[in-house]
Amino acid sequence: MSEFVERAVSVSTETAAGRRSIGLLLVAIPVFLVIWLVIWPAINAISRTIWRTDADGSSSFDLSSYAFFFSDRYSLDNLAVTLWTTLVCAVLLLVICLPIALYLRFSHGRLPAYVQALAILPMFVPSIILAFACIRVLGPNGMVDILLNAVGLPKIRTPYLTPWGPVIGLVWDNIPLTVLILLSGLGSVANQSIEAARDVGANTIRVFWHIILPRISNSILVALSFSVLGIFSSFTLPYLLGPASPEMLGPFMQRTLRDVQDPIGAMTQAVVAFGFCILFGLFYVRSVARNRGK
Amino acid sequence: MTSLTLKRVRLDWSGIAFAVILTLVIIGPLVVVATWAFTEVWRYPNIIPQKFGFRFWGQTLGRPDVWNALMLSLKLSTVVTLLSALICLPAAYAFARMKFPGRDILFFSFLAGHAFPKFGLLVAIAAIFLQLNLIGTFWGVVLIQLVGTLMFMIWIPVAAFQAVDRRMEEAARDVGASPLRVFWSITLPQAGPTIFAAVLLSFVGTFYETEGAWLIGAPGIRTMPVLMISYINNQMVIQYGAVLSVLLWVPSFIALMFARRVIGGGAFARGFGG
Repeated sequence: MSEFVERAVSVSTETAAGRRSIGLLLVAIPVFLVIWLVIWPAINAISRTIWRTDADGSSSFDLSSYAFFFSDRYSLDNLAVTLWTTLVCAVLLLVICLPIALYLRFSHGRLPAYVQALAILPMFVPSIILAFACIRVLGPNGMVDILLNAVGLPKIRTPYLTPWGPVIGLVWDNIPLTVLILLSGLGSVANQSIEAARDVGANTIRVFWHIILPRISNSILVALSFSVLGIFSSFTLPYLLGPASPEMLGPFMQRTLRDVQDPIGAMTQAVVAFGFCILFGLFYVRSVARNRGK
Repeated sequence: MTSLTLKRVRLDWSGIAFAVILTLVIIGPLVVVATWAFTEVWRYPNIIPQKFGFRFWGQTLGRPDVWNALMLSLKLSTVVTLLSALICLPAAYAFARMKFPGRDILFFSFLAGHAFPKFGLLVAIAAIFLQLNLIGTFWGVVLIQLVGTLMFMIWIPVAAFQAVDRRMEEAARDVGASPLRVFWSITLPQAGPTIFAAVLLSFVGTFYETEGAWLIGAPGIRTMPVLMISYINNQMVIQYGAVLSVLLWVPSFIALMFARRVIGGGAFARGFGG
C-alpha cells in the first residue's frame, strides 16, 4: 500500500501526464454520478417517450403519449393550473421582493438588518413545516379565522385546498433567494449615478426606471428563472396545500408514476415540464456559469 | 443635508412597514405552530389555548413510527453526507489545484441538474430506478439525495481551497514539509471552516429532503419529512404535527447559525447566479 502511494506520488511529481490522470481520477466519481443520474435520465426520458417499444419487441418512432397528454382534458387542466401558478407566483415574487431589495440596498442600520434577517428566514424553514403552518394559520378555523372572529368579522374563504394555497406557500418559500439575487444585482448600481440623476432633477420613479432598472434587469431575469424552475415542478407544497383536481404537474407526475404505475406517462409529463422550462434553465445555468467564470 | 435627513425619516417609515408586515407574515405562522406544540386544549374560537402543557410531547415521542423515522433520517443524512464528503472533497481539491483535460467543462457539468425543473428530473430518475429495482430501498434514496448534495459539496470547497494562500504552502514546502504535512497543517486549517459549513449544510439539507425520499422511498423508507406528510394528510392530532415541526426545527437552527458565514457578503447569491 505504502509502496503504491509512494509510486503514485513520485509519478505525479515526475510527469505531468500522471498528475493529469490523478486529477481526472479524483473527479471521476462525482462526474460519473452527474452523468448517470442527471444527464442520462433526461436523455432516457426523452428517448423512451418518443421511441417506444411495442408488445412484440420492435421499437419505432411514436409520439402517442404526447398526443394523449395534449388531448386529455385532465392533463391539459393540470398543465394550465401549473402555468397559472407559476405566472402568479413570479409576478407576486417580483412585486414583493423588488421593494424589499430596493429598501435594503439604499438603507443602513439595525432596522434594515432586521428586515433582511426576516426576508432570509424562510430559507431555513423546511417546506413541510411551512405547509403545516399554512394550514394552521389559513386553514378552516385557523389563526386568521380566530382573529377575524375575535373582532367580529366573518371568516375568510380559506385558500387551503384551492389553487391559491400553493401560491401562498411557494411565494413564502421563494422570497429569500429572490431578495438575495435582486440585492446582489442592486450592488452593481453605483450611488454616484443615482445622485447624478437626482442632481439633474430626476424624481424617484424616473431614477428607478432609467437608472436602476436597466442595471438590474439581468438579475430580475435570473431571479425569475430560478423561481420558475423551482415552482413549475414543485411537489410538496402543491401536494399538501393544493386541490386534488386539477393538480399541479409535480403531484400529477408523482401519482402517474407511483399510483397509476405508468412510467411512460410520467416521463412524458416530465419531458413536457422540461420543454416549458428549457429557456429558463439554459438562461439560469448560463448566468451562474458566467458569474462563476469571472 | 436637509434632504438627507428627510430621506432618512421617510426610509425609516418604509422600513417600519416592511418590518411589521414581514414579522406578521414570516414569524407569525411559525409562532402559531410553536404554540400548538405546547398546547393541550385549544378550541375555536379562543384566541389563546385554554390549557398549555407538555402532554403531547410525551405522546409524540412515545410513538414508535416517530422514533423509526428519526433514526432512519439521521442514518440517511449521515450516510449521504459522509459519502458526499468522501467523493466530493478530493474532487474539489482536484478542481481547485490540478490541471487536467476537460477541467472547466467537468466543473460546470454540476450545473446540469439546475437546468431542469427538479421534480421532473426526479421522476426521470425514478423511471430508471424502477428498472433497477431501487424503488423503496435505502440505497435508492441515498443515491437520489447524494446527487442533490453534489453541487454544494464541490463548489463551496473549491472556493475554499482557492482562497488558501499559496505562498504559505510553498514556504512550508521550501523548509522541507511533505505534501501531506502541508495539506494537514496549512491547507486544511484555512479551508476547514468553510468546508465544515458545506458539510453541515448538506447534512441539514439531506435531513429535510422530502421529494426524493417520497418519490423513491415510498412505501418502505419513511423519513421524518415523509412521516410529517402522512400526519398532515391523515389529519391526525394537530399537536403531533406541531411537536414534530418544533423538533424538526432544531437542525435548522444549527444550520442558520453556521450558514451566516457562507451567506455573508452576497457570495451565496452570486453562487445562485445573482
